[in-house]
Amino acid sequence: MPGLFEGFFARHRKGATLAALVLVSLICLMISNRTLVIKPKEIGLSVAGFFQKGFTGFFTWFGDTAGSIGRLRAAREELAAARARLQEMDQATREVLELRRQNAALKEQLDFAQNLPPERIAAEVIARDTDNLFSTVTINKGSRHGVKKGMPVVAWQGDIEGLVGRVALVGPGSSQVLPLYDPQCIVSARVDTTRDEGLVAGQGKDRGTLVMNYVKKTAKDKIGYGDLVVSSGLGGVYPRGINIGRIRDITAPAYETSLVLQVQPIIDFDRLEYLFLIGPEGEAAAPAVPSPGPQAPPVPKPANPPKAMP
Amino acid sequence: MNREFRTTIFTIIAMALCILLQSTILGRVAIRGVRPDLAMLVLVYASLRRGPMVGQVSGFASGFLEDLMNVSPLGFHSLLRTVIGYLFGLLSGNVFIDPFLMPIILAVVATLLKGILSGIVSALFGIESSGFITFTGRLWIEVGYNGIVAPFFFALLNLFKAFKQTDKAGA
Repeated sequence: MPGLFEGFFARHRKGATLAALVLVSLICLMISNRTLVIKPKEIGLSVAGFFQKGFTGFFTWFGDTAGSIGRLRAAREELAAARARLQEMDQATREVLELRRQNAALKEQLDFAQNLPPERIAAEVIARDTDNLFSTVTINKGSRHGVKKGMPVVAWQGDIEGLVGRVALVGPGSSQVLPLYDPQCIVSARVDTTRDEGLVAGQGKDRGTLVMNYVKKTAKDKIGYGDLVVSSGLGGVYPRGINIGRIRDITAPAYETSLVLQVQPIIDFDRLEYLFLIGPEGEAAAPAVPSPGPQAPPVPKPANPPKAMP
Repeated sequence: MNREFRTTIFTIIAMALCILLQSTILGRVAIRGVRPDLAMLVLVYASLRRGPMVGQVSGFASGFLEDLMNVSPLGFHSLLRTVIGYLFGLLSGNVFIDPFLMPIILAVVATLLKGILSGIVSALFGIESSGFITFTGRLWIEVGYNGIVAPFFFALLNLFKAFKQTDKAGA
């Protein structure tokens, strides 16, 4: 009988190996999809994170060194400008300190409750997904630095803070962030001007467009193009008031009881460098709407915005 | 240590390096977030040169490594790469790889195959991946990107002794 098996495997070595490897992959898929296997991925993430940090560091160093001569000249000019600005800021700081003192005194008089300062962890993007099939971003902070699964992630671009996504996987020294445009990333949101609520979700295939569903049809006439969409804080995953994007298109399908809003994200996901992870007690510290001007968000609000399309 | 084993180890290492490059610096040359899949090109080349055994084993190992690094479920990439390695290995000894046209065709076919397989596996296991929603713009960008890169990359791989073809590879 053993001889029969040996003869079979000798004859069908390649086919038997293929069957075995496919079977192992399928078993792994079945187990992994039910989230039973966690440790191997964490180990893999930490090992991969180590090499990714090395690669990013090496090539960044190489690029920086090559470009350092030109930047040195620019740095001198910037230094002179920065010194002048520092003097201005010094004066402004003194004024802010005085205002803070007055504010604290007034709050005390009004018996306001003290808000806890937002707990934020700064992290650097060290890698992206290895393949084009998934869309995670790897950062250089992990459980050792206090990162936890599900933490909301924000970033600053220009003068604007925007929601990036949430932490999907945590390793000891690195983590993976699921961006907003991923279909698995769903955020409870509201239109900032009208306070109408809905759910914002990614479409996957298009990084530049999110979809906001479940907004009441009665809000059709109040919502306009360019209106800001912010997180509502419902559900407890994302703090309220974080900028998500601006409304680019409004449709009111006849067969639906709610509107479908297309939202252009505030964040350009191809330009992510530094991210901030918000702790459970953190609240959005930045103002929801930036002041209009040259640094305004990418979608300008038209002077006479058309209302919802049928 | 026989040649087949050495080639398999070499292919796995080459693919691991490509995976690291793809997740780091190749992001700088991404077109709308899509990078060329160099690891898959290594797999295709090694499979064609050295047969289905090298292709499927190195495909499985590198795919498993990729699964450990990504948010994808364990087994997802290993399954795709095992099948791609095996199928291209079957063509070993039957395909003449010229310097220009054949690399493009092979890269295009491999990328399309990856798109179809990932679509099937995603549908069967209910995996939501944001990248490939099969046959959308991102897949076509990758098809084009891999096709453009393939002739140059295959020429580079041709320099390595490990990939030199024997009379009957993988037999």
